[in-house]
Amino acid sequence: MPDVTFLDANELVLNMGPQHPSTHGVLRVILKLDGEKVLGCECVIGYLHRGVEKIAENRTWMQFAPYVDRMDYVAAVSNGLGYCLAVEKLMSVEAPPRAQAVRVILTELNRITSHLLWLGTHALDIGAITPVFYCFREREEALKIFENYCGARLTTHAFRIGGLQYETYDTFEKEVLAFCDMFPAKVDEYEELLTGNRIWLGRTRGVGILTAEDCKDFGVTGPVLRASGVEWDLRKAQPYSGYEKYDFAIPTGRNGDTFDRYIVRIQEMRQSLRIIRQAVEGLPTGPIMGKVPKVMKPPVGECYVSIEAPKGELGYFVVSDNSTQPYRVRVRPPSFVNLQALDRMCRGSLIADVVAIIGTIDIVLGEVDR
Amino acid sequence: MEALLATYLKPLVMTAVIILLFPLIAGYITLAERKVLADFQVRLGLMRVGPYGFLQPIADAVKLLLKEDIVPSAADRWIFWLAPVLSTVTALTAFSVLPLGPNLQVADVNIGLLVILSLSSVGILGTILGGWASNSHYSLLGSLRSAAQMVSYEVAMGFAIVSGLMVAGTLSMQGIVKAQFDRQIWFAFSNYGLMFIPFVTYSIAAVAETNRAPFDLPEAESELVAGFHTEYSGFRWALYFLAEYANMFVVSSIAVTLFLGGWLRPFANIEALRHPLDFAFPAGLFGLIGVGCAIGMRRRTVAVDKGIMAVLAMAMLGAAAAFLVPMINAAIIGPFWFLFKVSVILYCFIWYRGTFPRFRYDQLMRVGWKYMIPIGMGALIVNGLVLLKAR
Amino acid sequence: MKKFLRAVFLVDLIEGLWVTFRNQKPSLIYTEQYPAERPKVAERYRGAPRLNINPDNGETLCIACNLCALACPERLIVVTSERNEETRRKELTTFTYDTSRCMFCGLCEDACPVDALELTQDFELATYTREGQIWDRQMLEEGPRPTQYTH
Ligand code: SF4
Ligand code: SF4
Repeated sequence: MPDVTFLDANELVLNMGPQHPSTHGVLRVILKLDGEKVLGCECVIGYLHRGVEKIAENRTWMQFAPYVDRMDYVAAVSNGLGYCLAVEKLMSVEAPPRAQAVRVILTELNRITSHLLWLGTHALDIGAITPVFYCFREREEALKIFENYCGARLTTHAFRIGGLQYETYDTFEKEVLAFCDMFPAKVDEYEELLTGNRIWLGRTRGVGILTAEDCKDFGVTGPVLRASGVEWDLRKAQPYSGYEKYDFAIPTGRNGDTFDRYIVRIQEMRQSLRIIRQAVEGLPTGPIMGKVPKVMKPPVGECYVSIEAPKGELGYFVVSDNSTQPYRVRVRPPSFVNLQALDRMCRGSLIADVVAIIGTIDIVLGEVDR
Repeated sequence: MEALLATYLKPLVMTAVIILLFPLIAGYITLAERKVLADFQVRLGLMRVGPYGFLQPIADAVKLLLKEDIVPSAADRWIFWLAPVLSTVTALTAFSVLPLGPNLQVADVNIGLLVILSLSSVGILGTILGGWASNSHYSLLGSLRSAAQMVSYEVAMGFAIVSGLMVAGTLSMQGIVKAQFDRQIWFAFSNYGLMFIPFVTYSIAAVAETNRAPFDLPEAESELVAGFHTEYSGFRWALYFLAEYANMFVVSSIAVTLFLGGWLRPFANIEALRHPLDFAFPAGLFGLIGVGCAIGMRRRTVAVDKGIMAVLAMAMLGAAAAFLVPMINAAIIGPFWFLFKVSVILYCFIWYRGTFPRFRYDQLMRVGWKYMIPIGMGALIVNGLVLLKAR
Repeated sequence: MKKFLRAVFLVDLIEGLWVTFRNQKPSLIYTEQYPAERPKVAERYRGAPRLNINPDNGETLCIACNLCALACPERLIVVTSERNEETRRKELTTFTYDTSRCMFCGLCEDACPVDALELTQDFELATYTREGQIWDRQMLEEGPRPTQYTH
């Protein structure tokens, strides 16, 4: 329970959430206010706890894969990729090149859909009600590709341990390239609506500043870290799934404020398009499934694999006792770790900023609470 | 006898008509707002209740009336009850001096504009008391915000209005319109275009004054849930809602009257434009809407929907025809232009809401005190000097 | 200077207004009228389950091997069978599938050796009772009753 001794006659305690329009789900933030000014805040989490990690312990390796989609349901494909890579490492198998390329295409598309959802809701929090509809329109196009590929739009369960279950469909390349052609103009449109807008600038510049030092102290990763000027992207730092083959830049910011994080994410969407285009154009042929036995029993051991999910470093620590079920699966969810910085970012700002800052961290409560 | 009728009966009838009709009109303004927003946002908007959602406002009204009346147990019951009533009553009273047409006005008092301004000041009380009486943190913050915001933007608005009054030389609403007719120019463009600055300041302050986006801080839904009316539901909430739309209508009407020529048609002094603008334009407009309704009717499949659309189409075509009859035209062309201009301004209100992010509290105050008020003052002085020179 | 003029004439705001204004074109409307206009879902869509029957003789394709039940992470499929004394083969007796717990991951479909169990394109699975969510063999074979809309 939050500490209540801080109560003082001049302070107003506002309980924001868990049912509040802009806490992105069921986050509860207890705000200490002096008028409109925020003196401090405390997060209460766990309203969406489903015990995902515990579920892993009594499912087979294969069976647990669909559950990871339900942590960060906005970036289900990335979650699936992380889990598959972790188990593959444990079993010392590698997905064939074609599978790797398709995985890259889909995870990058997923990064775009995740950022689009973020952009829409973030703008909505700040009071611009229209971008969310434009973002959803484009997101829909990407989701259609997921649907055509694997039959589901959100919790895709697109990858399997060892490779892919589904071969790409006939018009896959064409559709993905069409998306790449259509999308940049749409990003320009969002930027036209927001980037230069003085109200938007006023609401985001200098709000929720997090220095590079703070980021490292809190273990913050992903766009939030990069907006503070740290060029750290696991796709470059520890390439996985063939990312070393693609040419792309890591967008970084300078001030580590809400505006920089916005720009970084916008740029990331453009970079993702570059990766997708390269991957589609160089899509190898060949098998899509590596050599994995029907009944999986990884050798005794443990490993940690992390990937650059849209929200930051998503890590899986898996332990095997050579049985058909994981002994332990521990997830390092980026949203959960990034959320720690909320108090630091909120201190001294106004209530309206708190909403903007919660939005800018880009949390998904399914992942925070697991 | 005749005089008695003119002084008592006409205003009474008009008051009754406004009180009875405005809720319906407000409902249809919300329908328009939702439809226009849907257009901006590449969606269809309301489509289910009646053809193209045409009956939605009625369904909403019924729903709001039938809703359970909830008063929070910690609320101050009397003030909780009083606040929305206060808001609505003041907002609707302001209608009494709006010059809808040359003869269409409840009362042409010689201090018309002042009446509206003072009523809107009282109206703020409704918002503040409502938030206070709810005894909830969100409501309290919302009402504090609105108190600060409305008071400071009222000053900016006042300066803009005073500029207008200086040019007009009268406070009577009809007098202002007449002055524009005599001067042969809408006040927004007079004084070598210098009056355009007060017009812009007024338009911005008006948005703030009515708590509309991007100045909708008192009810910022992403921060304060619903601001001062968080705890209100059902019919009381509907009253606040009504007050908001009434206020929007009133401030747009002031803008139209003071800066955009009131019920005068554009280029009121150029006789050659009389026929195209007074006859062809409204007839064409209603005709087009009528044809649109007719096409919509053919697209609908359900008989009831078809019927409603047919009635609408007929009504619109009838209106178009009415504008072509000189006698009827003379009576309705004034209100037509007035309402047309008001609708354009209301459209802009919705347009802003669909486009802009919301200001933050301190930025809002900064814009108010550091830009709006100095600019308003400056414009007042400059316009005053220009007027002096002209004399 | 240019920047100053842009600021004074609110160019940034007008640009934004223009974006929303031009998106008003009716042809850009993206949403659809759902029950009246039915979306076409992908061929591989994982929706309502179906137990396929052999079109030639009307017998079920399922060989009652129970692999789908074993593959399912939610363990929501129950297959019962009995041995036919004449042919010495297992024959399917009942098959229940609890759609309320299903997450449509497709693992059961992948596990089936004879493509008897399939997730179809039907996505309207709402029912009025929890019991209605539990599909028995007949429902799986014939499909749910088609949804009727009155509007
Ligand atoms: S789709 Fe997944 S959860 Fe549903 S029955 Fe099949 S295996 Fe089980
Ligand atoms: S896996 Fe296929 S054949 Fe085996 S029991 Fe299930 S549906 Fe029947």
